[in-house]
Amino acid sequence: MSQPAEIHALAGAYALNALTDIERAGFARHVAECPACAIEVAELIETASRLSAAAWENPPSRLRDAVLIDVARTRQVAAGTSDELRQQAQEFQEFQEARPAQSAQSEQARINAVLGAVDTRIVATSLGGGGRMIVAVSRTLDDGVVLMSDLPALATGKVYQLWLINGASPASIGVMPPGLGSGSALVTAIGGANTIGVTVEPAGGSVRPTSTPIGTVNLI
Amino acid sequence: MNARAGQEGDPGWREQPRAVPADADPPGPDELLRQSARGDERAFAALYDLLAPRVYGLAKRVVRDAAQAEEVAQEALVEVWRTASRFDPARGSATSWVLTITHRRAVDRVRSAQAGAERERRVAAASVDTPYDDVVEEVTASLEQQQVRRCLKGLTELQREAITLAYYGGYTYREVAEKLDTALPTIKTRMRDGLIRLRDCLGVEVGATDTPAARG
Repeated sequence: MSQPAEIHALAGAYALNALTDIERAGFARHVAECPACAIEVAELIETASRLSAAAWENPPSRLRDAVLIDVARTRQVAAGTSDELRQQAQEFQEFQEARPAQSAQSEQARINAVLGAVDTRIVATSLGGGGRMIVAVSRTLDDGVVLMSDLPALATGKVYQLWLINGASPASIGVMPPGLGSGSALVTAIGGANTIGVTVEPAGGSVRPTSTPIGTVNLI
Repeated sequence: MNARAGQEGDPGWREQPRAVPADADPPGPDELLRQSARGDERAFAALYDLLAPRVYGLAKRVVRDAAQAEEVAQEALVEVWRTASRFDPARGSATSWVLTITHRRAVDRVRSAQAGAERERRVAAASVDTPYDDVVEEVTASLEQQQVRRCLKGLTELQREAITLAYYGGYTYREVAEKLDTALPTIKTRMRDGLIRLRDCLGVEVGATDTPAARG
């Protein structure tokens, strides 16, 4: 339970959204393992959001219509889902692997190993169109974990597909089942790959990306 | 815990069961968000009416552009609708949850859009025109605004500058350290102890009360 004071000192910067995505993911991991920290962080986030009172301003009236029209056609995520790093890692069973099947248990063990490895780098990015992708990669393990969250529902017949890109040659990591707003996947044999990307593809996925990625993270 | 009980209400007034809200007492953000999570679009519209000026105002403060602020506010509010089931009242108020999503979106927008030179320019410009100056100059009436301003004044200058640059300016703590020409560990610490002082001044508590009354 001896949490490094150094990382906990970031609680204020975290609450103010003043961390980069990498630092943010690292801090979130710290908080997940430290219940006392979680209370302090919750209080500081609540405090930070009070600061917005000073910025109060009436929006143009058209914003209301625009939001409510969007809302009427936006599907809500099911209750019980969470965007916490570790909880997402538990949801990976929902994510169909396009790679040779391994037993779920060994995959979960490998995901946990990546999340706990000392050399793991975590990179996050917002996706065009909404949602986030967080990638954790351990070079020593040669494994990575991709966590997708808050994905907007796609039109019928479209799916999200993840790619491991080595120079100019993308290999499919897998296709997210239609309708799933979040999930995670183990990525094995990272090797010399430099990028992980996500594209929107026709149902079933493509052999090679057929559209511009809506998000990429650099692994180097 | 319920030290407040007995302070409010006239003699003879009986507390009503919470499950039956009085007609005269419209639901607050927490309840409206819970209803929204069940797909109630009318509850969401009411939530919009309560929070839209906070959401839009915050977005505009951070992105410093009315058109972009509108986009950010719209994205944030639709995300609130989409992910409403994830709101956990034990971890804070609905208002705070909505504003955290908004702030994150606004900050993402500022950081991703403004690469390179444009971002440098903004950092340089903000050294003259700090967000806090904008704040204090604004003529406002709301009690909460006054309270926030009073509590900000109770911070040390470094605490206040670090917090306002990060929150209203969307800067990372590294950028704040650079702008204020202060060591990184000092900025980290000032952000945290400044927020703790603000928390105590504003009387912020999380998950400690069971009152459904939302803080607006």
